[in-house]
Amino acid sequence: MKKLKNILLALGILFLGFSCSTEDLDPTLEQIKDISSIASVEDLSGLLKGTVDRMTDAGYYGQSFIITDEIRGDNVFPNGNSGRYQTQGSLEYIPSNNIGIWTDGYQVIASANIIINADPNELEGELNEILHIQGQAKIIRALVHFDLMRNYGQQYINGGNGLGVPIVTEFAGDDLLPARNTTNEVYAAIYADLQDAFDMMNDQYDNRANKTFPSKYTAKAIESRVAVYNAEWSRAQSAAQQVINSGLYTIIGADNYVSSFAIDNTDNSIFELAFDNVDNRGSNSLGFIYKGDVYGDIEVLPSTPEIYEESDVRAGIITVDANGKIRNSGKYPELNGYDNVNVIRYEEVILNLAEALFEQGDMAGAITQLNEITSNRGASEYSGSITKADILNERRKELLFEGFRFFDLSRNSMDIPKISDLQNITATITAGDHRYALPIPIVEMDANSNMVQNTGY
Amino acid sequence: MKKLLFILMFSLVGFATLLAQTRTITGKVTDTGGEALIGTTVLVQGTSTGTVTDIDGRFTIDVTGNPTLIFSYTGYATQEVRLGASNVMDVTMESESVAFQEVVVLGYSARSRSEVTGSAVQLTSEKLTQLPLASVDQALQGNVAGLQLSHSSGTPGSVQSILIRGKSSITADTDPLFVIDGVPVTNDNLSRSGASSSFNPLATLNPENIESITVLKDPASTAPYGARGTNGVIVITTKTGKSGAPKFNFSSTYGFQNDAVYGPEMLTAAQGEELFYEAIYNTYGASEGFSRSEAKQFYLDNMSEFGFSSKYKSWNEDGRPETVWQDVITNEDAPVQSYDLSVSAGNDRTNYFASLGYFNSEATVIGSDFERISSALNLTTELSNSLSFTTRNSASYSEQDGLLENSAYFSGPRTTKYFLTPAAQPYNADGSLNLANLYSNVRNPLWIAANDISLSRVTRLTTNNTLRWDMPIKNLSFDTRISIDYQSNSWKRYQNRTHGDAQDVGGYAEVDFIGRTNFVIQNAFSYNINANRHNVDIRVLQEYQSNKSNRLEAGGENFSADGLTNVASAGTPTWAYTDFNDWYIGSYLGLVNYSFDGKYVVNASIRREGSSRFPSDSRWGTFWSAGVAWNISEESFMTGMDFVNHLKLRSSFGVTGNAGIGLNTYQASLSFSSAYGGEAGITPSSFGNANLQWEKAESFEIGADFELFNSRVSGLFNYYNRKTVDMLQSVPLSRTTGFSSQNQNVGVMVNNGIELELNFNVISSQDFNLSIGGNLGTNNNEVLELAKDGNGEDINITGRWTKTEVGHPVNEWFMVGYAGVDPETGDALYYTNDTETATTSSFGAAERYYQGTTGIPTFLAGVNLHVDFKGFFLDAQGNYTAGHQVYIPWTRYIYGSDRWSFDLFSGAAVLLNRWQQAGDVTDVPKMTYTTQPWRDFNRWLRDGDFFRLRNVTIGYNFDQSLLQKIGLGSARVFVRGINLYTWAKDDTLEWDPEFQGDGFNQLTTPPVKSVAFGLNITF
Repeated sequence: MKKLKNILLALGILFLGFSCSTEDLDPTLEQIKDISSIASVEDLSGLLKGTVDRMTDAGYYGQSFIITDEIRGDNVFPNGNSGRYQTQGSLEYIPSNNIGIWTDGYQVIASANIIINADPNELEGELNEILHIQGQAKIIRALVHFDLMRNYGQQYINGGNGLGVPIVTEFAGDDLLPARNTTNEVYAAIYADLQDAFDMMNDQYDNRANKTFPSKYTAKAIESRVAVYNAEWSRAQSAAQQVINSGLYTIIGADNYVSSFAIDNTDNSIFELAFDNVDNRGSNSLGFIYKGDVYGDIEVLPSTPEIYEESDVRAGIITVDANGKIRNSGKYPELNGYDNVNVIRYEEVILNLAEALFEQGDMAGAITQLNEITSNRGASEYSGSITKADILNERRKELLFEGFRFFDLSRNSMDIPKISDLQNITATITAGDHRYALPIPIVEMDANSNMVQNTGY
Repeated sequence: MKKLLFILMFSLVGFATLLAQTRTITGKVTDTGGEALIGTTVLVQGTSTGTVTDIDGRFTIDVTGNPTLIFSYTGYATQEVRLGASNVMDVTMESESVAFQEVVVLGYSARSRSEVTGSAVQLTSEKLTQLPLASVDQALQGNVAGLQLSHSSGTPGSVQSILIRGKSSITADTDPLFVIDGVPVTNDNLSRSGASSSFNPLATLNPENIESITVLKDPASTAPYGARGTNGVIVITTKTGKSGAPKFNFSSTYGFQNDAVYGPEMLTAAQGEELFYEAIYNTYGASEGFSRSEAKQFYLDNMSEFGFSSKYKSWNEDGRPETVWQDVITNEDAPVQSYDLSVSAGNDRTNYFASLGYFNSEATVIGSDFERISSALNLTTELSNSLSFTTRNSASYSEQDGLLENSAYFSGPRTTKYFLTPAAQPYNADGSLNLANLYSNVRNPLWIAANDISLSRVTRLTTNNTLRWDMPIKNLSFDTRISIDYQSNSWKRYQNRTHGDAQDVGGYAEVDFIGRTNFVIQNAFSYNINANRHNVDIRVLQEYQSNKSNRLEAGGENFSADGLTNVASAGTPTWAYTDFNDWYIGSYLGLVNYSFDGKYVVNASIRREGSSRFPSDSRWGTFWSAGVAWNISEESFMTGMDFVNHLKLRSSFGVTGNAGIGLNTYQASLSFSSAYGGEAGITPSSFGNANLQWEKAESFEIGADFELFNSRVSGLFNYYNRKTVDMLQSVPLSRTTGFSSQNQNVGVMVNNGIELELNFNVISSQDFNLSIGGNLGTNNNEVLELAKDGNGEDINITGRWTKTEVGHPVNEWFMVGYAGVDPETGDALYYTNDTETATTSSFGAAERYYQGTTGIPTFLAGVNLHVDFKGFFLDAQGNYTAGHQVYIPWTRYIYGSDRWSFDLFSGAAVLLNRWQQAGDVTDVPKMTYTTQPWRDFNRWLRDGDFFRLRNVTIGYNFDQSLLQKIGLGSARVFVRGINLYTWAKDDTLEWDPEFQGDGFNQLTTPPVKSVAFGLNITF
C-alpha cells in the first residue's frame, strides 16, 4: 500500500508538473528580435547596414538591375547559355513575369524608412551621428525611388498618363495601398530627400577610405544624375559642380583604368556596394553572368568593341574568351561576385556636368569636361564643336556594361536599334514604345487595387 | 548483415526462455459445420497470455488456476468460456459478419466498427508488408477513398505528398498529421536542399513492424486532434507481442525496378540537324536568297557572320555519332531488397515484440540509392495487479544517396536526358569520359554520378513509454505516457572541381546537420460504465508537445586534390551557419462515448489547444465534434430482413484546426542575418500580425455502413463537406510595404464530395475464395471568400500558370489558349481571349483565361481483386485518378520550335511533326533560328486522367501440416509486380501521368515499375 501511495504521488506530480500555461508555450527567439527593440545609434547603424545590404541582392545591384538595363540596349545580347535574360532581352515582358526591382526596391525603402522615422531624441547616442545615419538613409531612399522611377515610370513613353511610382515614406504606416504618384511628385520627393540628407549629414562621420556607405557628397552626385535623367540642366550643373568642388574625388588615370574595377574603394568611387566572399553569389553574380563558363549569358555584340579607338584604354575591358565569345572581362571581374559594385563614380558626375553645360549652350565648358575624361583614357580630345551624340558616345564608352545605355537611349527619345541578328529583339523598337516602361508586376496589381498598370500591358 | 541477424535471433530466443511455465490446456476449435478453424485467437482473460490454433484448429495454452478463455476469430462471434478442472477444451464458433467486429484504432481511442460514428479507413499489416517501397505511406495509394497520394519523386526515400479530401487551405500546410502509437510526430522533409532528393521521415520506419494504419478523415475522428486535424490524421500502430511461445517471422523480398514510364522520346542528332538547317532556311532563306537544300552550305559559309553555333559542323567532322542519354543515365533493373526477422512472445505478465530489418533499394537512375537498417522492441509487462508498463522503442539508420532534382539542373542526371544533345558523346575515343565537347553546359552524368555527392545520413530514435494504473475506483484508470522522437540528418554535398557546378571555384563542399527532438507527454484518465445495456466511456487527456530543432552548416571551396570531399579540405571555407528553432503545443482533451444496447451511439469530443505559433492573446483555440450512429440492423423491426446483416447510419459534425504556418510569423520582427562588409545588418523580417490565430474547418459527414446477403456484399457511403474559415492565408501585400505577404486569418473555402466503398465476396468456400472490391472518392473545391485589400477589393492570387479567385477552385489553371499552327505561315496562333473565336500570332496580344481545371484530381478510385485456391493466391490492386490537368515541364527547351531544342539543347521527337510548307496542318510551329522567351499556354496543359495497375501479387502458402513436420509454422512465397501497367487518357502525353500533387513535374525520378520475389516463414 505504501508503494501504491508513492506511485500515486509520483503520478500527481507528473500531471501537475506538465500542465502548461500560455507562457509555457512561448517560443525561444534566438535569431530574431521584436521591432520595438530599436533603442540606440548602434541599432540604427545596424539597420543602415541591413538597408544597404538589401541593395546588393541579386535582383538589384547584385545582378539583375544592371543586366536588365544593359541587355535592353545595343551593347550586349543574351546568348541563351542558361536561358537567362531572354525575356528582358526581347522586351517581351508581361505583368506576370514580375520583372524588375519592384519588390527589392521597396524592401530597401522599407528598411530606410525605419531609420528615417526613428525619433532621434528617443535613441541613445550622439545626435549628430544619428542625424548623419538618417541622412544616409534618405540618400538611399531617394536613389531607390529614382531607380524605380526610371524602370516603371511613364516619363519615357508615349500616351502614358504621366504616372510615376508610389512614394513611400513610412514603415508599416497607415497607407498600405499607395497609389502611383505623378512623375513630378516623385522627382520632387527625390530632390527633397537628397537636400535633407546633404543638410543633415556631417562629413566628419564619412570614412574616406570606405565608400560602401553613402557619404554627404553622394547626395549631390546622385542629384546630378537624377537631374540629367529629367533634363533639369541647371540643377544637374549645380549638383555636379558641388561634388567636383568638394575635391574629394579624382578621375582614375589611364594606366589604372582597367585594373581599377578589380579594386575596392578607389579614388574615383563615390558610393559603392560591398560584396565579399561571405556573400558568395556564385551564379547570381555579375561576373558569372557576364563571363562564367557555366552561365555567361550576357555576351558582347560584335559591333561594341568598334566604338573605341585603338589607343583607348577602355577597350581593354573587352576580351575574347577561349570559346571565341566576346566578353566583358574587365568590369565586375571576380567570377563569384566578390568585387564591390559601383553605384556612382566620379567620371559619371563629370559626364553629367558636360551634358548639362552642353544643353545650356556652354559648348566650351562641355568640351573641357569631356576632355577631363578622354585625357585620362588615351582617347582623342574633343575640340571645336561637339554634338549631343558625342556626349552620349562618351558616356557609352565610359559607362559600358554598368547599366546606363538603355536609359541614355530612353531619356533622349532614341530608338533601340536592331543592329544584329544576335539581339533578341526582332526589329528596332521606336522611341516612346510602351516597353520603355516595365509592366507593374502582377503581384502588385493583385494586392493593391489602387495600382494602375502601365499603358500597353 | 547475416551475423547481426543471428545475434538478434539468439538473444530473442534466450529472452523467451526466461519466462515461467504453468498448467497446459489443449483443445480444438471448429465452426458449426465441424471444420477446423485455423488461427483462432485464444486468450486468457485479464492477461495478455494467448495463442492461436494450428492447421487442425488445435491449440495449447499454459494457464494458472481456472481462468476464463476468450476465443476470437475474424468473422465469428467471440466466445468466453470458464475453465474447469479439465485440461481439454473444445469450442464451436458461430459465424458473424466481419467488418463490424473489427477494432478501429483512432489514436486517442480504439473502438469496434459498430461504435464508430465516422469513416476511418484501416489498413492492416497484410497490405503494408513486403512491398518493395522505401516508405510505408506509399501503400495507401488507391486503398483509401478520398486520399490522394502523389509522387514527388521516385528516388527511394523521397517525400510523397498526401491530400485527404482535397486541399483545405490556400497557403497553409495541407499535409495530414501523422500519429505513431498515440503520439503526434513531425514529418517534415529532412533534406537540406530543395535542389536535392527529399528525405521522408516515414522512410525511417520499417513497414514490417506496423500492425495497422488508420486514416481519419471525418470530423468525429479528426476533431480530437484539434488544431492539426483539418487535413486528416494518419494513425500508425506498431506491432506488439502476442501471448504464447516465441514465434519467429522471417521475410525477405528481392526485386528489380525500372521507370514505370520512360517519358518522351527525344530527337536523334541527325533529326536535330535536319531541323537546324530547316530553321536556318525558314529564318534567312528569303532574305539571303538560298533554297531549302542550300541551307547547309549557307550555314557552313556564314558561321561567324551570323553567329551560327558550330555544333553540327563539329558533329559531322566527328563522324555523326549518336547518343541516347536515356540509356546512359538509366540504372537498369535496379535491385531492391529487404530482410526482416521478428519475434513475438509472451506469458501472463509480459509480452514482447522485437525485430530487426534491412532494406536496400537502388534508384532507377545512376548514382542514387537508399539503405536502411532498423530495429524495434515493444514490450508490455504487468508490474503489479493494477500497474502495467508498456515501452515501444525503435531505432533506425538510413542512408540516401540522392541526386540533384526538382528542377532542370545541368548536373542532374534526370535533366541530362531532356537537355544534353544526342550529338555529344559520353566517352572520348580513348575511353575516358568526355567532359569537354558536350555542346552546352549540361554535364556528363557519368562523371557527376562518379564524383559528386548528395548524401543524407538519417538517424531516428524513438521511445514511447506508458504506465497504466487501474485505479482503486472500479473502471477508472490512469495512463501516463512519455515519448521522445529524435531525428537527425547529417547531410552532405560535394561538387567536384573538374567538371560540374563547382568547376569554376575549384570544387565545393557543404555539410548540414539537422537535429530535431520531438517530446510528448500525455496524462489521461479513462472511465467506463457498462450497466443495463448502457455503455459509457469517458476519457480526459492532457498533452504537451515540444519540438526543438537546430542546424549546423558550413561550406567551402577550392580543393587541391580529388577524393577529399569535406569542408576540412577546402582551401577557402566560405560560410558557416547555425540556428535553433522551437515550437510548443499544450492541450486538454475530453472524449465521451455513449452507446445503448449496441443500437445507438453518441460521442463527442472537445479539445482546448494552445500553440506557440500564435500570439499569447489568441494562442488557445477550442475544437470539438459530435457524432451519432444508429445500428439499424440491431432493431427488432429488422428481424424479418435477413439479407441485411448489418446496417449503420452515422453522421458527425465538428470543428478542426490548422496551424500549418511558419514559426513566429505573428511577431513584427527584425532579423540580424544579413551581413554587409563583414558586419551584421538588421532587416525587418516579418510584417507581423498581433491577431493571428487558428484556421478552422467546419466539417460535416453523413454516411452509412452496410453488410448484406450473408456478408457477401459490404461497403460504405459518405458525403462530406468541409468549410475552411478564418483561413490562414499568406495574404499578398502591396510590395511597397517592403514585404510580399502577411499571414492573416481570412478567406473561406469549401471542399465536398462523396465516397463509396464496395466489396463483394463472390465465392467464399474452404478451398476457393474470390472477392472484388473498390472505392471511389470525389472532391469539389471552391473558394468562397478571399482576403480584401483596404479598398474592399478581393486580393486574387495570380501565378505564372494559375489563378485563385472567388467562385473558382484554388489554383485553377489560368493561361493563354493555343489555337494551333497557321497552315499558311507555320506560326503559332493564340486565342485572343476566352471566347476562343479570334486568333493572333502575337503572344503578347493574347489574354490569359481560366482553363476550367486544376492540378488536383477531382475523382479518385481504387479497385482490388483477391483470389485464392487451396494454397495459391492472387491479389491485384489498381487506381484511377481523374478530373484534373497536368502541365508539361520545361516546354521551352524540350518542345520549342527554335534553337532551344535542336541547337542549344536536345528537343523531343514530336518536333518532327513541324510545319514545313504552306498547307501543312500540324500543331508544331515551323522551326526558326531564334531563341524565344518563355511562353506559357495551354498547349502544354493536358488531361491528367490515368489508371495504374498498382500491385499484382501471385503466391503460394505451403501446406501447414507438411511444414509442421519440418518445424515451420507457415511459409509463403510470392512474386509481386508494382506499377506494371499504366494507361493515360491523353495518349500523346508521353510523360508518366502521375505528376506531382500540384499538376507539375519537376524532372524528378518518375514512379518505378518493379517485380519482386518474396518469402515469408514463421517458426
